[in-house]
Amino acid sequence: MKYLRGMLVVLILWYIAAFLLASPVIPFPHTVLMYAIGQFIPQEMHLHLLYSLYRILSGLFIALFFAIPTGMIAGRVPALDRLISPVLYLLYPLPKIAFLPVFMVLLGIGDLSKIILISVIIYFPASVTIRDGVKEIPFEFLQLAEAYHLSRKQVLKDIIWPAILPRIFSSLRITLGISLSVLFISETYAASHGLGYSIMNYWVMAQYTGMYAAIVLLSILGLLLYIIVDWAERLCVHPRTNT
Amino acid sequence: MILSLTDAKLDYPKTTAFQHFSLNVKAGEMVSIIGPSGCGKTSLLYAIAGLLPLSGGTMQRAVGNEGVALMFQQDRLLPWKRVINNVLLGLPGEKTDEAEELLQSMGLSSVMQHYPHELSGGMRQRVALARALIRKPNILLLDEPLASLDEQQREVLQNDIKEYVQNHSITLLLVTHSLQEAVFMGSRIVMMTNKGVSYELQNQLHGEANLRTRDEFFTMQKTLRHHMEASR
Repeated sequence: MKYLRGMLVVLILWYIAAFLLASPVIPFPHTVLMYAIGQFIPQEMHLHLLYSLYRILSGLFIALFFAIPTGMIAGRVPALDRLISPVLYLLYPLPKIAFLPVFMVLLGIGDLSKIILISVIIYFPASVTIRDGVKEIPFEFLQLAEAYHLSRKQVLKDIIWPAILPRIFSSLRITLGISLSVLFISETYAASHGLGYSIMNYWVMAQYTGMYAAIVLLSILGLLLYIIVDWAERLCVHPRTNT
Repeated sequence: MILSLTDAKLDYPKTTAFQHFSLNVKAGEMVSIIGPSGCGKTSLLYAIAGLLPLSGGTMQRAVGNEGVALMFQQDRLLPWKRVINNVLLGLPGEKTDEAEELLQSMGLSSVMQHYPHELSGGMRQRVALARALIRKPNILLLDEPLASLDEQQREVLQNDIKEYVQNHSITLLLVTHSLQEAVFMGSRIVMMTNKGVSYELQNQLHGEANLRTRDEFFTMQKTLRHHMEASR
């Protein structure tokens, strides 16, 4: 319901802008919607959407695959944290998008360079958030684990993992927006599929309705990803997990 | 002796928790430890449980770490685990039936699948107690476990703990602020300061069913209060 209300507000603002400007640069929402529905399969819009989804999900998984152990080690082992945190802080603010050409040279112009760029961008904030989550686990719980002779594996499974799960989800929410922007930029270079490619392709052909249709699809992709993250969080994280 | 401490000392980086502490505990004995705030009672229990190393003196325990269970002052129930899984923390799944039986005997069968936040303070403490008891400890260490409960709940739980500990021949060390609790629960009451044991009292009426209503119950509390004030 809250998403429908949000969509309604955006649609109203869009209608007002389209009506006031009365220019082909801003078509009416219903025209764009009809175009998107009509051209979804004939113009391979569904393929563009699936390519973008594949790239962003792969990027997310690769980033978390490395960020979770990095955050856990930095959070649990102070000696290693003194080494890891400065490196994270040093590399975190770099404009990673500027390295896209480097990734393309090293990893080829295919999907891999785009996926790795997305994962590198997500990796840093995710690592820092997870590290902080591990550090904030109440000492009382770790002492409890020691008093009840839990093995390292049990401490990880029963205490650390449930305590950092909410952090993983919030880092996903924070980085999803950035990764979608990066996805768009990366798909404008050396791509033949993807919503970013599609938007730029329509733009150079001055087909504004098609361009907006692709933008709407990119926005829907973002919304769907947010909904999936929220849903997965509700499924995996107990509401009282306040550590 | 199941536990023996000789001239034990525990230092923190900037302060000494306790020193010159000696205590011999026989198997099955129930020892209440009382003393002013900051005299190192909790640190003593943590040292016995193996959570803190002694800085001096010796400790001999006839049982390994697995034979000792500590119940903390706060229940420390994991909020993301159901009651049954909190009790089974760190234990294999085969213990589930045993845990269910124990929770049933403690009047918690209806809340086994609940989360800790859905329970009252008394119930939470019972679950924390069940988590300690399921490990079948030889030595049970209780660190002011009932401090957060109202008097009525406290008395019920005192009765339950005492009965369970006596029936299972568990050696109990209970740290408490309450003289009433110390006399009711302890077959021996040890008063400590951070310079060691300052007074000891044998409770001859420990096994009596009507202990709470006996005159001696109040006399012992008065004696302890007198010694406590004298040691300040």
